[in-house]
Amino acid sequence: MHKFIRRNIAGYAFLLPWLVGFLLLAIGPILASLYLSFTKYNVINPPRWIGLDNYVFMFTMDDRFRKALSVTFTFVAISVPAKLCFALAVAMVLDKGIRAIGLYRALFYLPSILGGSIAVAILWRQLFNYDGVINALLRTVGIEGPYWLADPNYSLWTLVVLAVWQFGSPMLIFLAGLRAIPQDLYEAAEIDAAGPVRTFFAITVPLLAPVIFFNLVLQMIEAFKSFSGAFIISGGTGAPLDSLLFYTVYLFNEAFSFLRMGYASALAWVLLIIIAAFTAIAFWTSKYWVHYESQRG
Amino acid sequence: MTTLNRRTFLAGTAGLALASATGGAFAQDKARVRHFWWGNPERDKRTFAVIDIFNGKHPEIAAEGETLGFADYFTKLTTQIAGRSMPDVIQQGYGVLFEYIANGAVVPLDDYVGKTLDISKMDQSAIAAGTVNGKFYALSIGANSHVAMYNRRLYEAAGIKVGENFDPFAWTYDDVARIGRAVKDATGIAGTDDNTADYQNFSDFVGQKGVQMFSPEGEYQVTQEIVEEYWATWKTIRDAGATPPAQETAGLAGVADLAQTGLVTGKSATSYAWSNQLVGTQALMQDPIGAAMYPNTPAMVPGSIIQPSQFVCLTRDSASPEAATTYMSAFVNDLDMTRVLGLERGIPSNADVRTALDPQLSDIERVSVEFFAGIQGRTAVLAPPPPAGANEIEQTFERLAVEVLIGGRSPTEVAADFLNQAKGILMRA
Amino acid sequence: MADATLAAAPLSNTREIARAIWAEKAKRARRAALLKHLFLIGCSLIMIYPLLWMVASSLKPNNQIFGDLSLWPSEFRWDNYTSGWNGMSVSFSTFFANSLFVTVLSVIGNVLSCSFAAYAFARLEFTGKNIWFALMMMTLMIPYHVVLIPQYLTFLNLGWVDTYLPLIVPQFLAGDAFFIFLMVQFFRQLPRELDEAAMIDGCSAFKIYWAIIMPLSIPAIATAAIFSFIWTWDDFLGPLVYLNDVKDYTVPLALRMFNSQDSVTQYGQMFAMSVLSILPIFVFFIIFQRLIIRGIAMSGLK
Repeated sequence: MHKFIRRNIAGYAFLLPWLVGFLLLAIGPILASLYLSFTKYNVINPPRWIGLDNYVFMFTMDDRFRKALSVTFTFVAISVPAKLCFALAVAMVLDKGIRAIGLYRALFYLPSILGGSIAVAILWRQLFNYDGVINALLRTVGIEGPYWLADPNYSLWTLVVLAVWQFGSPMLIFLAGLRAIPQDLYEAAEIDAAGPVRTFFAITVPLLAPVIFFNLVLQMIEAFKSFSGAFIISGGTGAPLDSLLFYTVYLFNEAFSFLRMGYASALAWVLLIIIAAFTAIAFWTSKYWVHYESQRG
Repeated sequence: MTTLNRRTFLAGTAGLALASATGGAFAQDKARVRHFWWGNPERDKRTFAVIDIFNGKHPEIAAEGETLGFADYFTKLTTQIAGRSMPDVIQQGYGVLFEYIANGAVVPLDDYVGKTLDISKMDQSAIAAGTVNGKFYALSIGANSHVAMYNRRLYEAAGIKVGENFDPFAWTYDDVARIGRAVKDATGIAGTDDNTADYQNFSDFVGQKGVQMFSPEGEYQVTQEIVEEYWATWKTIRDAGATPPAQETAGLAGVADLAQTGLVTGKSATSYAWSNQLVGTQALMQDPIGAAMYPNTPAMVPGSIIQPSQFVCLTRDSASPEAATTYMSAFVNDLDMTRVLGLERGIPSNADVRTALDPQLSDIERVSVEFFAGIQGRTAVLAPPPPAGANEIEQTFERLAVEVLIGGRSPTEVAADFLNQAKGILMRA
Repeated sequence: MADATLAAAPLSNTREIARAIWAEKAKRARRAALLKHLFLIGCSLIMIYPLLWMVASSLKPNNQIFGDLSLWPSEFRWDNYTSGWNGMSVSFSTFFANSLFVTVLSVIGNVLSCSFAAYAFARLEFTGKNIWFALMMMTLMIPYHVVLIPQYLTFLNLGWVDTYLPLIVPQFLAGDAFFIFLMVQFFRQLPRELDEAAMIDGCSAFKIYWAIIMPLSIPAIATAAIFSFIWTWDDFLGPLVYLNDVKDYTVPLALRMFNSQDSVTQYGQMFAMSVLSILPIFVFFIIFQRLIIRGIAMSGLK
């Protein structure tokens, strides 16, 4: 028993602030939302237990739920890899000694600072309008651009562009990760006359793997939960024709516009399970490609 | 920095202490009244000034203001409902109000009428609009109606003149096509927005067909023929070349932002909105705007209604309803207070207040007052409160109508789908 | 540096060749640098466009922001800044002070408490570690809109609504798992031998955390501080729900109050204040990103 305490005391001491916050502030609301997912709850009156009805309705009757899933999956599948590749590429360019690096970094981070503000919504409309800046640029190279915002086949792409454009945070994390790779490894590679491609796969990728893994998991979670961009650009509705009906936009409308908090909670738990499954897969595969310095030797 | 720390950590109590430093000693026995509204800097300033006036006149009450932008107002209110911590007095719009009433979030005012609450000077129509099942719930703080806002410069350039070839209070959909085309030819700018996906116009159209949207039992009474005819009507206008391209219109479906309307962005000469948005729209534009009713069919059956833009309501969480209703009463009757408020929330529902305001009106405010005078006798009777789910039907219409614009399924199929979904929504609500 | 070794070769003939190679390499390097800069400047333009657009809009009169696409205002309305600053019932000085207060405390709380938890997860062994870690990850996955109301009820019961406590206390209790996970990934990259050597020297776990792990993780800590600052500064949902008194509002909440559904929206003033609201983030970013550089210098010297 004494040994047990001694083995655990340091770990739990450091974990204590998180543990207190988790047990007192975080887990309660999460469990409450699980309970609410089995109720009909319009917020004004107390919740009423209805068993699995919310889930049954979701999987058998709700077309918009299916639509929201497909929009969200498409968005995740395209935007996450695109954003990560872009962020890594820029981070690697910036990592090499270059003048005014601080300025570039700050500039590249700008779009992410603007986040999901009203200004971005107005800007995006002006850029992607039929007679907006994007189509004007396309016209100079002889391409007649589509109605980006009106055509359900294109509207999601404007959101993907927005997401990739806001690549600041993964870029910064990649940069911090690149900075942690000992420079002498690169010098050794240069002496061995290894080309840039080989250096990238032999040194950068393995040593950056923990950070790549982090960005992958977090960007995936963020993309599944992505809300504000689609919300403000579609006026909160997912228009046109539900092509911007991101899962959380649908959930928000159910919860706060139509006061179906019980159903919204059920939607939330289904999303939670989806995200958890993908995250678990990522963690499982990480055994094969992510190795930590602290585990070596 | 010390003040900041103290105030910030004890914001709740210290905030009051600060307020009391300016507005006299704060005593525990004062009845506290929290008033929550959605607004904008201008409205906030006016309303806080009004609260100061009220507190000066009523030393026994401590009124406080809380405010947010419209986009966030209901999110916050919803959390407060759940926490049973709503402010005493809240601002409400026409749509959601009835769900709050039906579920008991706001309470009847009948017990206070004639005592702390004076409604003797209110327009009868305004009182009727706030009454549900014989009980009076909601105090109108501004009347509202549908308005077609048009760019006067562009209309003039196309030779469109009020009284000659344009009657703002009795124009038809054919006129819309004719005028829209004329403006397009003369200026290159589309004469009118395309209302295919606009539920406000659609609801007017249903009224113009002599149909009540909901039966007293809460059934949706709109027929397949009406939906199809509505879309065909706007297709005619579109085909006449009077509107922006259909896809342009589709891109704006669901966007409620005034700044994105065709009138403001310069893509069309006529946009459709609420009359209390006239002032805000004019502020975003250089050309002067005029006000017309929504178009009608040649039969001229009234379709537009006059309804309050905003109400103030008493919530179930109010600890001192007498004080709260005293405040509400002053908010709509006290001439010192209403002078400060002006027309900012819409046309006041109290005749004395309207008369007192007249000399201080701006040009665009005068346009809205004249518009209101013009529509008297041309509007439909206010329907009974819509059932729960009406909101969602509106969103569904605007969503599906986009398909009519960009061409997916045929209008017939879309209309059938819409009516089907409307039925489903009402069943689920 | 590889060039230097070549150039130092003993034979003069070799030196000639080396010089030629060196010159060729330098030319290529210069061309690469030029290309790199062109690429970066091109990217920068795309990145900076929104800011230019915002600044331009902040200087336009309200009725020219829409419909007029040019970036150059026809007349400069500097008064958007002054009237925007004082445009609300409460001055923006108050909003900025409130935001700074909440944000600075949050950054401190976040960095401290999250690095604690991250150290436990990354470097220490204890029973139940994997379960706690999984639960921590779960808090990242739940859509926040559905926990908004239960959370509000929790803080209401604590009597914390209408104070800054709901915004600050969770930050001191490692409320954002993002930062824990971020630091875990960086802490795990440090060689195990460091701890072991320190342990043999009799260092306590706290000493190892404070004297070894933290100093070696400065780039990661700086990154976390930057994110923490930006996200807290930009957050509006928390302040929206928990603050009632306008005098307590933060900048993003105040910015959203410019937007009106049914009346005059002062867009020019809103953009002016939006531009100003970015400044503190920018300053913080510029200062803290230097620490990311310092981190490299250290590992580079090793």
